[in-house]
Amino acid sequence: MLDQLAEWLDDRTGYRTLIRTFSEEQIQGGARWRYVFGSTLASVFLIQAVTGVLMMTAYSPSSASAWGSVYYINNIMWMGWFIRGLHHFGASTVMVLLVFHLLQVVLTGAYRKPREVNWWFGLALLVLTVSFGHTGYQLPWDQKGYWATKVMTNILGGAPLFGPYLKTIVVGGTEYGNQTITRLYGLHVAILPILMILCLWAHVMLARRHGLTPPARPERWAAETYWPAQTFRNVAFLSIVVGIMVSLDLIKGGAPLDAPADPSSSDYPARPEWFFLCLFQMLRHFPGRLEWVGSIVIPSTILLVLFLVPLLDRILPSRFLHFLACAGVFGLLGGAGYLTVEALKADAADPQFQEARRKADAAHERALFLAASPQAGIPPEGAGFLLRHDPLTHGHAALEKKCLGCHFLGGQGTGEQTAADLKGFGSRTWVRGLLENPAATAYFGKVPSLGGMREWKKRSKLNGKQLDDVADFVASFARIPDDLTAEEWLISPGVAEHPGNQPFQKECGQCHIIEGFTEGGTRDAPGLFAWGSTRWLSRMIRKPGAPDLYGFFEDKAQMPPFGPDQLRGNDLEMIIRFLHNDYPLMPGTELKGTVAGVTVKMNDQVADQKY
Amino acid sequence: MTRRDFYRYGSIVLGSLIKLVIAVPAVAFLASPLRKRGQDAGEVAFAALTSLNQLKVGVPRSFAIIQDQTDAWIKYPSEPVGSVWLIRQPAGTKPEVIAFTVECPHLGCAINLTADGKSFLCPCHASAFDFDGKPQNQVPPRPMDRLDVELTAEPDPQVRVKFQRFRTLAQERIPLA
Repeated sequence: MLDQLAEWLDDRTGYRTLIRTFSEEQIQGGARWRYVFGSTLASVFLIQAVTGVLMMTAYSPSSASAWGSVYYINNIMWMGWFIRGLHHFGASTVMVLLVFHLLQVVLTGAYRKPREVNWWFGLALLVLTVSFGHTGYQLPWDQKGYWATKVMTNILGGAPLFGPYLKTIVVGGTEYGNQTITRLYGLHVAILPILMILCLWAHVMLARRHGLTPPARPERWAAETYWPAQTFRNVAFLSIVVGIMVSLDLIKGGAPLDAPADPSSSDYPARPEWFFLCLFQMLRHFPGRLEWVGSIVIPSTILLVLFLVPLLDRILPSRFLHFLACAGVFGLLGGAGYLTVEALKADAADPQFQEARRKADAAHERALFLAASPQAGIPPEGAGFLLRHDPLTHGHAALEKKCLGCHFLGGQGTGEQTAADLKGFGSRTWVRGLLENPAATAYFGKVPSLGGMREWKKRSKLNGKQLDDVADFVASFARIPDDLTAEEWLISPGVAEHPGNQPFQKECGQCHIIEGFTEGGTRDAPGLFAWGSTRWLSRMIRKPGAPDLYGFFEDKAQMPPFGPDQLRGNDLEMIIRFLHNDYPLMPGTELKGTVAGVTVKMNDQVADQKY
Repeated sequence: MTRRDFYRYGSIVLGSLIKLVIAVPAVAFLASPLRKRGQDAGEVAFAALTSLNQLKVGVPRSFAIIQDQTDAWIKYPSEPVGSVWLIRQPAGTKPEVIAFTVECPHLGCAINLTADGKSFLCPCHASAFDFDGKPQNQVPPRPMDRLDVELTAEPDPQVRVKFQRFRTLAQERIPLA
């Protein structure tokens, strides 16, 4: 039955004859291991096509969604990490195989007549493969992809004459974003594959027309048919190659995904994929105005010379040219290897790079954690806002930039301390510490104008237990809901009967005014209603000179106000939520260092104040 | 076994192995949506839609269901995910409020009131229902899908509804999880 069906199909299509022309092709001098590279390359390309098409069913090309969809592939979908990892390591494998294939062709002199045209198709495939490799790792729109895109397009833009226009066309404008990704995506999944298929088809057809390049005096060995002798070698070698790809995938747990693209990051240590490291390193040897020599002139010259090799064969003595070609290719490989090692060594010996990489890794870990966290998740605005809406990352960074010039955080700051330490501000620990010793550097020791608390301490009659109660009471102010007035708060349950209420009213109330509750008047002091809460803190940051806060200060003693122009709404919210420890923390892990750079141990604060 | 046989079988075995290494994960990858089941099942919760006094006896009103929604990788906080019809029953009957999902059991279109407001009609394929959800023609495979309703203990109770989706075209009410 099956035979009959096959017979019928063959009669209408002639498919058997087609297969036979492949399988029964005679190999002069017999099957050889050195013939395996071309076929293995084609097979790995096929794997790339399959894994690539699979990912197309899940990837979403836009600056808001690219990272999220890759995260989804990697972390949520069944075997997504494996498929993406295979595609990733497949790309590296192709680069390695290309080198072997090229070496094999050059060593056997297969560029010579009549195979010139096929040599050129091979070079075209080389350029296409490299383009695939580059556009591929830009697509996740993580930090690595974003900065790689920037560097690559700026190299393009630096080319003479049409460079800037080409760059604008590739980027899809002057800013990097949605148009950049859709264009790269179109290149990677449509334009390059079509060109690849055309060139590959021509390459294979010409290879079959000329046959494999036999060894000298092939009559010394018996001729064999392609199937099964050569096929077995091809498949056996391919098995080893795929085995290595799969092993790398399993060992590494798939392909890496850096933190989402952040155009504002100032210290991301951008490095290309390893197969571009040699080109990257070469740029360092052509600083300043000579940059285009390293980025454009040298690579194009190498390509041009390779292109001319079969033609030079007609001019120069064949053996001499063969020697030159072999020496040239080995020289190129040696040079590339040298540059790669040089790049790796330079990074390994550069503490600044190591530090930047450590920060990038911390950001990457934080981003992956937040994307998976039920309390966070990727916001509708896109993955770029994942870390911008994270108090631990963005709040800390904003605090460091805007506040830590005067304030300290956990004993560290960026300038000379002239204001209180903000670690745990608004928490019970902070208040209790202040009540114990207002003159400590963590409180008002460095703020001479805030002498009131020190004076109070000298004459205070409160004992330890009462101070504990007052601290409890004041720390509870931060949890007063935003829509509660002082009046409503006073009659709400738990306030009048709080053990800290009495001592607070008696001592603190002499200076600090809470309308309808304490009189104040003995000395100027800020209002404490809802102290430490979001509304109190925003007002304190936006208008520290308001009459109910520190309006009694002289201007030069005053904390500068941070209006919406100095501090955007999101920054303000993130700073406050950071101070409140209002963010999900990776369970059981103490943060090794935070993204913003200052090392802070957060766990003791989390236990102290939970929102 | 001759050398040729060894090559032949070797090629077939190794070749199949490579294809399997790619094909099995590929199938799993494409079948990934089947995995979501377990995660979503636990998320169904009652949501307060209105208070009882806002409803008139025997007059259906539709309410949007607002829930946090996870659309693959993105989390949308408080998004409308669907609607329900609430019908208050005459005093003394149990339950006091009936909730129907607007999704038609036929092919999932949103069921609306007829122009005269006396019964339900689906605008897509004309499934017709009365206010008890009973089919009035042969189009729908089953009555409108009732949702679980809860009334809180306050003087003017809150009407809370557990929003679910059900398989279309089936004779029975099978929740999609």
